[in-house]
Amino acid sequence: MRALVVDDSAVMRKVLIGALGRANINEVDQAADGVEAVQAVQQNNYDIILMDWNMPNMLGIDALKAIREMGKTMPIIMVTTEAEKSRVLEALKAGATNYVIKPFEPNTIVGKIQEVLNKSKG
Amino acid sequence: MRAENINPFIESVYDLFTTMLNAKAERKNVGIAKTANPRDIMALIGISGRVRGMVALAFPVSTALAMVNKLLNSDIKIMDDTVSDAIAEMVNIVAGGAKARMNTGNEKPLDLSLPTVVRGGDFSVDYPTNSVWLEINFDSDLGPFTLRVTFEPEK
Repeated sequence: MRALVVDDSAVMRKVLIGALGRANINEVDQAADGVEAVQAVQQNNYDIILMDWNMPNMLGIDALKAIREMGKTMPIIMVTTEAEKSRVLEALKAGATNYVIKPFEPNTIVGKIQEVLNKSKG
Repeated sequence: MRAENINPFIESVYDLFTTMLNAKAERKNVGIAKTANPRDIMALIGISGRVRGMVALAFPVSTALAMVNKLLNSDIKIMDDTVSDAIAEMVNIVAGGAKARMNTGNEKPLDLSLPTVVRGGDFSVDYPTNSVWLEINFDSDLGPFTLRVTFEPEK
């Protein structure tokens, strides 16, 4: 299993990589903005992506749309401080598989990762 | 700035501590700050949209290190880019949670700027004449810190 973590905060990427490790995903690439994320997806195959919303150069929501327009269907979990209902709906409409609002408890994100992977296998 | 505008930020600080830091924070006194005399590290983030404002979190080094080490389960002893990055993310989380709480209906969500971090104790931050900053001091399991919030005067 290979994952991509997209967040402009290196610390948050570390936290999310830790969560992926707890879900037994240890091969993880990192991107610091939406542009890097889209480039990474063009070059590699991922089983799951964790995507922040507010980032420089390209927002996570725009990267999500770009990745879906490429025909990629891997689970993408938005992990963001954007907690308004309209934002959640916008992301789900754009193809997000799930949505986690920061701040989160460590078990919450691990559970969401396992949940979407189990669904994608089924 | 209306006093009720401060509550979403205080709640958001509590949320950050209980969820990601597994620690408790307790609000102390609230006051009005004309200028910010930052402690050793300060993270600021702008809010824009139907209201415009700024949120700042200021920490002594000891608190900043304790928070980052708790978050990452690490043992960082000096201020470095990791600490700055973590503090920036924390003000982002506090502002994000607060703006969601301030959204009471179908209003367009407020937007956040990218956070800025200032390090060092020998500087001051001055605010425009009409700005009123509310300053809330906190004590926590990880040490004291200060939250400052301002919104553009409503016309």
